[in-house]
Amino acid sequence: MKSLGRFLGGVLLFFLIWHLAAMLLQTSIILPAPYQVLKVLAELLRDPLTGVAALQTVWKVFLALALVLALGLFLGIGLGTSPALYEMMRPLIMVIQAVPVVSWLSLVIFAWGIGWRGPVFIAFMSLLPIALLTTVSGVKNLDRKLLEVARVYRVPRRQVIKDIYLGALVPFMFAVVDVSIGQAWKVILVAEYLCGNSGLGVEILSARFDFDIPRVYAFTLLAVTLGILTERGIKRWLERTAKKWQPA
Amino acid sequence: MAGKDGKEVAACLKVTHLNKAFTGLEVIKDWHMQVENGARVVLLGPSGAGKTTFLRMIAGLDSPDSGEIQVGTDKVAFVFQEPRLIPWRSVRDNLLFVNPRAEVETILAQLRLEGFADYYPAQLSGGMQQRVNLARALAVEPDLLIMDEAFSSLDLPVRMNIMEDLLQQWERKHFTIVSVTHDLKEALFLATRILLLSGRPAQIVEDIAIDQHPGSDWTDLPRLQQEAWLLKKLLAADHPE
Repeated sequence: MKSLGRFLGGVLLFFLIWHLAAMLLQTSIILPAPYQVLKVLAELLRDPLTGVAALQTVWKVFLALALVLALGLFLGIGLGTSPALYEMMRPLIMVIQAVPVVSWLSLVIFAWGIGWRGPVFIAFMSLLPIALLTTVSGVKNLDRKLLEVARVYRVPRRQVIKDIYLGALVPFMFAVVDVSIGQAWKVILVAEYLCGNSGLGVEILSARFDFDIPRVYAFTLLAVTLGILTERGIKRWLERTAKKWQPA
Repeated sequence: MAGKDGKEVAACLKVTHLNKAFTGLEVIKDWHMQVENGARVVLLGPSGAGKTTFLRMIAGLDSPDSGEIQVGTDKVAFVFQEPRLIPWRSVRDNLLFVNPRAEVETILAQLRLEGFADYYPAQLSGGMQQRVNLARALAVEPDLLIMDEAFSSLDLPVRMNIMEDLLQQWERKHFTIVSVTHDLKEALFLATRILLLSGRPAQIVEDIAIDQHPGSDWTDLPRLQQEAWLLKKLLAADHPE
């Protein structure tokens, strides 16, 4: 309850600062006042197409995250259990990590043109290195004593991966989700803006073309709110799932 | 009984000319022993006498520098010093992890763990976790049960309690037990045979058959006198004249 109060206080403070800044600048082309934006947002929320656009962005975010977790886990276990392979692949991971979003953008426009695949691919490539490196570090920090138990009892490899590796990596995956979800939202919105055909990023682009700045801000506010809500929802779910494993 | 290498061995465990050193430090020196099926052998020795190393070599977790260990069965279970349970799996799943066909409820009942199958390790006390460690070992219906100071971290009543339960299981199934400890009480309680180890480099200096001790009055001796006798032997082994 206390933390919710502090959170709402923070939101109020944000709107207050925004309001003061808008008053000082006195130009709605650069910074419209919060009440203008909230008014447009209320209108947008009454339009079913806004919900469709939001859903189109949300599913892309979740698809990118799911792909990152699945492949990050699969490849990360492989790399974590083979130091030689990890040393070989590390330069490639660093290259992927260093490639700027605009370069991926050019690539996907040439490959697929405008569409949903570009934003998902760009978010995937931006987040994969974090998932990979986190998983590798999780595998390296795995409790060797549990692996010895598996060896003594001759537990099949597939079961060891399922019961020991995946279980031990869950906290690391929590960390990946924690770090990635905010970034996934940002990358998907930018990619939709530049090479998408649907979603909140496209709506922001269309508002910009119309010089409808309060609408740009309203869509941004909607995206930020959805980002925060999904982040908090996922975090709470993860915390609840992890709680029963913690020592009493 | 066929060993790991296919050779016939008469006993459950046969050790010949066993040597092991760690970075030049000789830990185990020329050990020989044979453990018959169904025996309860306790290796008693000071810290650093290579007891854990020996058990790890039997279980295939370490290899000897020279010599041979022949294990006459594939059904080996290991009760580690610490429970080593999978924290994110329930008690039931920890048992099923080592044997998917284990009769979980029966094994738990035999070790006074009824009703705890769906608990997670963190929800159990240290003594109960160690019981689950033992239950997991029994879940594979072992022919050879290895125990590495399995109960040393528990207080005496809990320890005696678990050992009584273990002996009950042994009475039913007669698996072979090879255990190490530095605790005289535990050794006397559990063993049919005690192997006394010297200090580093450890050697087996005495092989005492508890149930056939020369002097025949051994079993009638009060437990304290038995302990005193064993302690004297242990001190002599650790600090030879």
